[in-house]
Amino acid sequence: MSKPLLTGYCLIIYAFLLLPILVVVGASFNAGAFLTFPPQGLSFRWYVVFFNNDVFMRAIRTSLWVAAVSTIISGVIGTMAAMFYIQHSGRWKESVRLAMLLPLLLPEVLTAISLLFFVYSIGIGTKTIAAMIIGHVLITLPFVFINVSAAMESYDPSWSLAARSLGAGPFTRFRRIMLPLIKPGVIGGCLFAFIISFDIFTISFMLKNIGTATLPIQLYDYLRTNFTPEAAAVSTVSIVLTLAVVIISEKVLGLRIHRF
Amino acid sequence: MTISARSAKPFLLIAPAAVLLGVFLVLPYINIGIMSFRNPGNGSPYAPGFTTGNYLRLFSDSFYLVQVGNTLMIGAITTLACLVLGFPVAWQLARSQMRFRGLAYGLVLSPLLVGIVIRSYGWTILLGNNGMINRTLINMGLIDRPLALMYNSLGIVIALVHVFLPFMILPLMSAIQGIDPSIEAAARSLGAGRVTAFRRIVLPLAMPGIQAGCILVFVLSLSAYVTPSLIGGLRVKTMAVSVVDALIDTFQWPFGSAMALLLSLTGALVVLIFARLTRMKWKAN
Repeated sequence: MSKPLLTGYCLIIYAFLLLPILVVVGASFNAGAFLTFPPQGLSFRWYVVFFNNDVFMRAIRTSLWVAAVSTIISGVIGTMAAMFYIQHSGRWKESVRLAMLLPLLLPEVLTAISLLFFVYSIGIGTKTIAAMIIGHVLITLPFVFINVSAAMESYDPSWSLAARSLGAGPFTRFRRIMLPLIKPGVIGGCLFAFIISFDIFTISFMLKNIGTATLPIQLYDYLRTNFTPEAAAVSTVSIVLTLAVVIISEKVLGLRIHRF
Repeated sequence: MTISARSAKPFLLIAPAAVLLGVFLVLPYINIGIMSFRNPGNGSPYAPGFTTGNYLRLFSDSFYLVQVGNTLMIGAITTLACLVLGFPVAWQLARSQMRFRGLAYGLVLSPLLVGIVIRSYGWTILLGNNGMINRTLINMGLIDRPLALMYNSLGIVIALVHVFLPFMILPLMSAIQGIDPSIEAAARSLGAGRVTAFRRIVLPLAMPGIQAGCILVFVLSLSAYVTPSLIGGLRVKTMAVSVVDALIDTFQWPFGSAMALLLSLTGALVVLIFARLTRMKWKAN
């Protein structure tokens, strides 16, 4: 392909990638009662409806809460695992990496179903939100692990050795020497874990306890029966929340998130 | 000797992750394997005793076999479409020194940051009978009746290609980045045409990336739930949608487990065959 042709082709693909997202954002400002095209004028009425809709507001709070708790748990467990992987795994290095990435490699729907049966078999069930949080931790763990271990590749163990020879205990060495150096990886991994957990659907859908819904679940339920632009307003707010997290992390904190 | 060798108990660092993955990933997978051989229950999810009946029911009922076939077909077409559509983009991202490379990379990644429900919802707005595409075409006078873009396999494939295209472009891009452009130049200087240079040099060298991208997209499309469910509606159901609906609505745990495992194992088998074939071709070249 010649150069202008290739560029033109790529622009079409980029447009294709953005199209459905832009359409949702555009639809949220539709003044009509239904998703008609062309839109019947611009208005914020569906945002007003959404902010007054208790069901959706509760779902946003649940999503933020579940994402925060899962991220903290995955952040701690994933960082510890990355430390082991880089410094201690020795000849098991490749196996440890594979095991840590396992939740990403297995089909999410099968993991969700397996976990659902399992929590019932051991008596936890889905009466509490615990099952859903376990699922979210499983799925987000690889992202923390990838980011933290990438940051640790450049960490020189002799720095810990120096601190140790000066009398620092293991916890002090971690807090004062290692953590400041791997902090970008830890924060980046946690932010990505948060976004994944905030958006994830299948795991939440299978493991939700009755009466609790995260935002994606509520949105999905709504979309099966309703066609008003309110769903578009909800989606737009969700997109803006995620974008804010990414822009803050990449521009303000100057982080580069490793997604793979 | 590093500090690690002498520090007290390094395995404590991996212990929480090992317990989590062991208890909540490995055990549940063993459990679902056993569950698929359980007797169906009456009023309860399953009854004591074991049977191969769940699998026999799947293999003897053409309804489920057709569904498995359709799901594999949707997965294969989605994968192929992603490969063909994504390769030029990956090529440009890997090779060009354009000013907006960072922006282009961001554009490829940005859909991954938007939840799957929202992206599928966007496609329902576009593809519906009264959707944007049909409305625009009718208003322009190009068609009289709306095209059937939703509630069929075509709509599912379009939306799945959109959802999984970044997962194809990224591995392709890193594979192409690893190919030294001077190798191609050498082939060209020895008289190879553009097509020959591409087929004999670039394609074999990019094969690991092609393989990784195809496997990723294929597996993800087989287990996709939200997109086929919202776009396919009640009319077209993929295997993953049937499994989840069967479990949520009817509580047939043993049969649902057998369905889920059959789908996953068939998918794994296709992936293995594909990996085998592509590697052989690569060596032959």
